[in-house]
This record gives sequence, structure tokens and C-alpha cells, in this order.
Amino acid sequence: MNEQISALLDGEIALTDAAHLITSVQSNRQAAETWSQYNLIGDAMRDTPSFSANFKHNLMLKLDQEPTVLSPNPALTNPSNAGNVQVDAPSKIHAGWSIAASFTAVMVVGWMVMHQQTLSSDELAPAEVAQNVPDIPAEYLIAHQASAPSGGAYYIQSVGYTK
Amino acid sequence: MLLYKVMKMMHFVLAWLFASTTLFASLTFSVQAATNDAMWQTLQKAALAAHALSYQGIFIYQTGQQSKSVQITHFFNGSGEFSRNVVLDGMPREVFSQGHDLVIFSPKNEKVIIEKRRGQNMFPAILPTNLDSVKTSYSLRAGESERVAGRQTQIFFLEPKDNLRYGYKFWIDTEYGLLLKSVMFNSRNEMMDSIGFSQIGLLNTVDLDWFQPKIDSKKNYVMEDEVVTIIDNSVSKTWTIKDLPAGYHKVDQMIRMVQGKSAAVTHVIFSDGLSSVSLFIEPATKPISKHKKSKFGHGVIGNTSFYSSLHDNYQITVVGEVPEATVIQIANAVVFKK
Repeated sequence: MNEQISALLDGEIALTDAAHLITSVQSNRQAAETWSQYNLIGDAMRDTPSFSANFKHNLMLKLDQEPTVLSPNPALTNPSNAGNVQVDAPSKIHAGWSIAASFTAVMVVGWMVMHQQTLSSDELAPAEVAQNVPDIPAEYLIAHQASAPSGGAYYIQSVGYTK
Repeated sequence: MLLYKVMKMMHFVLAWLFASTTLFASLTFSVQAATNDAMWQTLQKAALAAHALSYQGIFIYQTGQQSKSVQITHFFNGSGEFSRNVVLDGMPREVFSQGHDLVIFSPKNEKVIIEKRRGQNMFPAILPTNLDSVKTSYSLRAGESERVAGRQTQIFFLEPKDNLRYGYKFWIDTEYGLLLKSVMFNSRNEMMDSIGFSQIGLLNTVDLDWFQPKIDSKKNYVMEDEVVTIIDNSVSKTWTIKDLPAGYHKVDQMIRMVQGKSAAVTHVIFSDGLSSVSLFIEPATKPISKHKKSKFGHGVIGNTSFYSSLHDNYQITVVGEVPEATVIQIANAVVFKK
């Protein structure tokens, strides 16, 4: 499975042949994690300033030595591993991956979505706005909050705009 | 002789009184000036602290209609800002920001919808780092000390100089310099909204493990179609904006699609440094159905005012977290060229 995901990312499997992969990535947490981690690695290697010049080389080395380096730090999950070579994976790199994580997650998901479904426009309305908007036209309120937000607009999508 | 002495003495006393009064007055004045400067500096510091400190806590956002608790983790590593806001009440919405880029994960039925936004003024960073425009429209006054979220704070009142904006009461941490609570008031001193920490601590980590969404593998993640907005620097041939309400200036103009409209709409944003107002201008369309509610009207709902009217076959709509007078003045500032 992991090899397949890796191959998909490297373009070795055609997207059209990968429908089953995408479905299983969606339904399988571990696969989803693998997917996002492979993406992260890709990201990390393309995007660069925060990574040293030989980062890719080091990463490849580490991957060869210890494929599980990307799962939770073995030193934390398995005390008997403490002292192993992999344990000293710099926490800085780890942090780097996490930084990319949420934004990559967005990309990954966006990509999956593209190949999977499109949204009808009524589904796009933030759930809480659509319900009860007698006076302020919701479409303008949404546009206002998207481009000129004030303090609370991020947490509440103008719920219960009732007089 | 005696009279002369007495007179001379009185003269001296008077002179002394006069001198000391003048001295006292000028001293008081300079002390006040210094205090005023110091107060604005405290506000300036609060504006910066919200970006430059790393902290974690829970704050509560309250409007007349409802309240939500939000867990915030904010991290500044010397060059970049990261924050994760998790809404703890109701739907588990998550808001991530990295610099000005914002990504919102909001669950809806069996899906999680991902929205991309431009981030600004996120609590506690609601103050602009440049306070010049705020200084022209508001005056600042210090209040009592008070304890908020287990921290000692100093209260400041940011009072509008006219009725075109709301006032604020700020609680600023005396040690961290961070804004811990903000309440917005209207001219009748009624609370419009409130946002404040109930718990806060500095974040002592260099790790960014927390900066990722909690993924629910049972749900589909759906990217919201990005609303296309085009920055518009053109000058319209049909309309122009004259006398804006005092203190407000244009900060942005774009052409965008608005949900449910087939034609693009011009969206102009105005701000007085703290509050912002949106103006939408578009060619008027005939209502599709008789039963469809008219879009024209005005009103104040919670902290938001709204005004919509028809001018020369153009529909003008103004929306903002400001008093109604301001949205009306902004709508009237649009002048159509003959």
C-alpha cells in the first residue's frame, strides 16, 4: 500500500488507475497518514529555505536505514529503541514537517476532491449562515466577512442573524 | 511704611501664587501628555505582543446571540507566526493561520469543508500595529486594574470621538503586555460583543507538532471553491466616492463573485483602523420571483449594520460592524457620474 502511494506521488501510476488508492486513502487512517507524510516529504524537498542543503541526502539515508522514522518517534513509543541511530532525527526537521502538515493536508484533500466530486453552490454556504437570514443578505455578509473580517467572524459564521 | 511692607508682601505672595499656579498647571499638563503618550505606547505594545509572543489559552467570544469558547495556540519563532484556533463549543471548527494565510476546517454533515481566507485582526491581535488612524478617531483613557484569566490587567477605554464607530474597553496584561479582553460598546453603552481569555499562559516550546488539523478519517474533506477576487485599481466611469464619514479611508477594492449573483460585483473596503465596512456596487437586476424578498432595506443586527438601496440602476449595499449612521453615510458617499 505504502509503495503504491509513493508510486502514485512519483507519477509512476496513472491517476486514472489510482481510484482504488484514493478511496482507500480516504477510508484508512494509516494510509491517509502515509499519504500526507509522503506529500510532506515531497513538499519539504521542493520547498527549501528551512532545510539544509544536504537535507534530501540525509533524509534518503534515514529512510533507507529506518523506514519508520516518519511515524511517531521510536524513542517515545518503544523505550528499547532508545539509543538507536534513528532516534537523533533532529526535532527541527520534525517541526518542519508539522508546519507543512496542515497546509499540505489542505492540498492533498483538495487534490482528492478534484478527482472525486464537485460541490453544488448551496453546499458552499457556511452551514450556520444559511439557516436564518431575514434581513442582512447572507451573500454580502459572507463576502464582507471573508475579505474584511472582524474579531469573531472566524469562529462564528454569523449564526442566528435574527432581529 | 507698614502699609508699603504689607503691600510688597502681598505682591510677593501673589506673584508666588501666580508662578506656582502656572508651574503647577504646566506640570499637570506635561504629566498628562506623558501619561497619554504612555497609554498609547501600552496599546502599541499590546498590538505587537499579540504577534510576537507565543501563548496558549482559551478565550470566549460573545455576542448578543451566543457565545463560543476557542482554544488558541499561537507561536512566533522569530520570523513567522503560526496559530491554531479550535472552537470548543458546537461544531468543532478549526482555524489555522500562518502569517496572513488562513485555512478553516468546518464540519458540515458528513463532510469537512476547507475554506481559505485572508487573515487579519484575529484575537488577540485586533489592534493594528500602526495606531495613527486609530488616534485620529478615538481617544484613550485609563481605567482601573482588574484580574482577568488569573492575570493582573490594566483597563483602557478607547472612546470614539463621534458617533460613527463603536467604543472599546480593553484589559491589558500588566506583565506580558498582551490584550486579554476586549468589549465593544455602542453609544448607549450597550455591549455589542466581547472577546476575552478565561485562561492564558505563555507557550514554552519550539515544537510545531500541534500545528495540524485533527483529521476525522470517516469524513470527506471538501475544498471550498475559491471565490475569485481580482484587485481592482481602476477608476470607474460610472461612479465615484465623495465625502466619506470622518476617519474612514479606502483600504481595498476588488471585483468578486458573490454567491447567487451571475455578474461580478465591485467590493470596496473602508476602515478607520479598527472597524471595517464593505461597500458592494453592482448593476441592479429585476427580482426573479415576486415572492423573493426585496434586498433593499436597512437595519442593525447584533454588532452589524446593513444598508441597501438603488441608485441610477445600480444596487448599493453596505455592511459593517459599525453604527447604522456610518453605513448610510458610506452608501451616500457613492456619487454617480452623469
